[in-house]
Amino acid sequence: MSATLLAVLSAVPALLGELVTLPLVSYIDTLGQFLRPSTLVGVFVRGLSKSAIYVMIASGLTLVFGLMGVLNFAHGSLTMIGAYLGGLIMVLAVTGASGTVQRFAVFFVAVLVVFGALSALGGVVEVGLIRPLYDRPPIYQILLTFGVTLVLDELVRIVTLFYGIQPISEWQAALGTKPEPLTATIELGSTTVSGLALFEILFGVLTVAAVWAFLTRTRYGLVVRAGSEDSEMTEALGIDVRRVFTTVFALGTGIAGIAGALLMWDPVWGASVPLAAETLLPAFVVVIVGGLGTFRGTVVAALIVGMVDAVTTWWFVNAVEFTGLPEMFIFLILVVTLIVRPQGLFGVAEVGGH
Amino acid sequence: MAISDPDRAPDGPTDPTPTEPRGDGGEPVDGASAQADPDAEDVTESAGAIDVSPARPWWRRYAEEHVAHLVVIVVLGAYPLLHSALVASPVGAEATMLLPDIETMTAVLYFGLFAMSFDFVSGYTGYLSFGHAVFYGTGAYFVIVAANGKLPLVPHTTPFLVLLVLGGLLATVLALVIGVVSFRLSGVYFAMITLGVSQVAYVLVRDWGFLASNPRDGPFVVGPEGAAAPVFSVGIPFVDPLNLDIGVLTGDSVVLGPLSLGSTEVSFYMVGLVVLVCYLALQRLVHSPFGRVLVAIRENEERARAIGYDTFRYKLAAFAVSGFFAAVAGGLFAGFRRSASPDNSFFFLVTGDALLASIIGGFGTLAGPLYGRLLDETVREFLSKEGAGGGLLPYLRDTLPESVLATDIAGLTVQGAIETFLNGHASLYIGLVFVAFVLFVPGGLLGYVRARVGGPIAKQVARRIRGEN
Repeated sequence: MSATLLAVLSAVPALLGELVTLPLVSYIDTLGQFLRPSTLVGVFVRGLSKSAIYVMIASGLTLVFGLMGVLNFAHGSLTMIGAYLGGLIMVLAVTGASGTVQRFAVFFVAVLVVFGALSALGGVVEVGLIRPLYDRPPIYQILLTFGVTLVLDELVRIVTLFYGIQPISEWQAALGTKPEPLTATIELGSTTVSGLALFEILFGVLTVAAVWAFLTRTRYGLVVRAGSEDSEMTEALGIDVRRVFTTVFALGTGIAGIAGALLMWDPVWGASVPLAAETLLPAFVVVIVGGLGTFRGTVVAALIVGMVDAVTTWWFVNAVEFTGLPEMFIFLILVVTLIVRPQGLFGVAEVGGH
Repeated sequence: MAISDPDRAPDGPTDPTPTEPRGDGGEPVDGASAQADPDAEDVTESAGAIDVSPARPWWRRYAEEHVAHLVVIVVLGAYPLLHSALVASPVGAEATMLLPDIETMTAVLYFGLFAMSFDFVSGYTGYLSFGHAVFYGTGAYFVIVAANGKLPLVPHTTPFLVLLVLGGLLATVLALVIGVVSFRLSGVYFAMITLGVSQVAYVLVRDWGFLASNPRDGPFVVGPEGAAAPVFSVGIPFVDPLNLDIGVLTGDSVVLGPLSLGSTEVSFYMVGLVVLVCYLALQRLVHSPFGRVLVAIRENEERARAIGYDTFRYKLAAFAVSGFFAAVAGGLFAGFRRSASPDNSFFFLVTGDALLASIIGGFGTLAGPLYGRLLDETVREFLSKEGAGGGLLPYLRDTLPESVLATDIAGLTVQGAIETFLNGHASLYIGLVFVAFVLFVPGGLLGYVRARVGGPIAKQVARRIRGEN
């Protein structure tokens, strides 16, 4: 018996091997480094920029789920298409000599085009494919959007291979169209942050504000909120809920596309086919942690996930030799949330209870 | 899946206990009622005994009930011979193009088992386990890491089948742990928590240096330091002297009289044997009272609970069983390929492939996922990039005349169009087929056939033989 125990115990160092590489003392040392104000400010700003990305990729998803109860597995693919489309417009319109103002102008035009194109695509998908499934159990909508993902990803792969813009995972040509200020680093107190991070924060705040204003300040937003509270009653009041469904689905896919347009400049993400899966999973984490279908919850959850991402990334870079550390923590947040509070931070227990 | 929900509701209250045969002895009365619920299958095997005359001995009845199974087994068993005969025949080029080769068929078998195990929990209880790949990966990694002599208490000389069972047990424990926390949730939330857990495992495996020298590429069978890499044999451990090795590189070849089987064929038969045993075990479970309770949970969980079943325990048990067989499938995969990677074992899209096979083959039917996977793999090979086992691309290159290949259609030559749209892009067509199935054939291939013939095929065949109807 003790021999068996010894055999198991002797294997423990080998098992842990790569996971624990540094002695405890140096961890305490690193903690001291981490708690320095300059580090904290830097991590905080990076966390905000990550939060902005997370809120961008998740808010369309939560809008659609809140109203229609459809968990859209194709959301990541739409983000990916947005990244390619936005990148394509940038690359075609921007030459090496274009000035800062021009590049920003082209970017906002690209955002509008991407939003329009993906809204149209979303509308077609909703009317043609999802609408026939409303009277089936909700699992069929998941299945259907999963199938749409397969088709979209492979189509994009065919097109990108054909035009030769897929050989590398990040599409360098699109990365190179950043306006001057975004490539620079900016002094902020005793630390430096990249211009891109600040731009992402600004863009995220603007999007959140716009969606928020749409939901609370417009008549159509009122209809959407009413529809997600009680679609039958809304229907009885003489509102065509089916049309509202289509509009919101189009809106959600449009936002997914804009998120992609923002991601095309980010060196960590970039336009690539695997971006579909890479954005889909964090988007799920954010909407589930926040509470499926609550926009407020999504914003808060994006802040939490973004901050955790930034902190764990810092620890990975400085102390822990484990590449998957940030990713693992993000999924752990999902699992722990579902165990402790299944309906999410701001979710109502019965919302999406299917 | 709850396709039959609305149709089932009327007869539900009068039929509260799913384990009891229906009034008519478990057989649907006519085609119409069977159309209404394709899953009404085979209520219990004993139910059939009611209307059987004593003149028929049990073994004859058993044989009748399983004619359809035997036919499938015989066809699969004869496939390698059939394949080689056709390839050598005048239509050889067409056969090579159309038919999946034996290696692909082996992949169909082990992945089909994984898809079945996924369907056993998701198709039968209605809980979409979106992280099922974690069990498949556990089985695969366990076999390889043990064979490399890295696990304490498991020597690298352990017989393959023992490794399969041990890996299965490990996955069972894992499934119980995951299940205990996950089954408090349902629907989308259940799918998400299983997905979350499996992604945590995926990231862990992808970056854990203990498992492989380069964890991102995954481990392969090298054997422990200073010792040769073990071969994996299928055969009853410690009893059967005829252990046959499987694997693409290390398999045995066998000469049986006039037949000579290469290593790939032997692997096909040996993997098939394990899959067959697992299928029969799962089928037993599905047809047992336990399996009926699972269907009851899928159809209406509250009602199942109300009549006194502890549904949580049933779901947990189903999850554990499913985890076991998923790990066996993973072990077979690792044994055959002699390597695994995080992306082809633990990644959530591997579960997606099982889902694909289940939906196309028939969600909530045990054999369906195997046929679904067969279709999936056949199309993939048909449109494969290399075309090693044939496929459309080399066939068209060889048979189409040069002039046709160079023809220009809308700025694209025929050759260019072929290369663009057929070159390894099977996912596109599989995805389209999948969407079409979700929209128009929710019961899948097998569910559709069952609805047409009025019940499970094996039952219907047996009835025809008995001259009933």
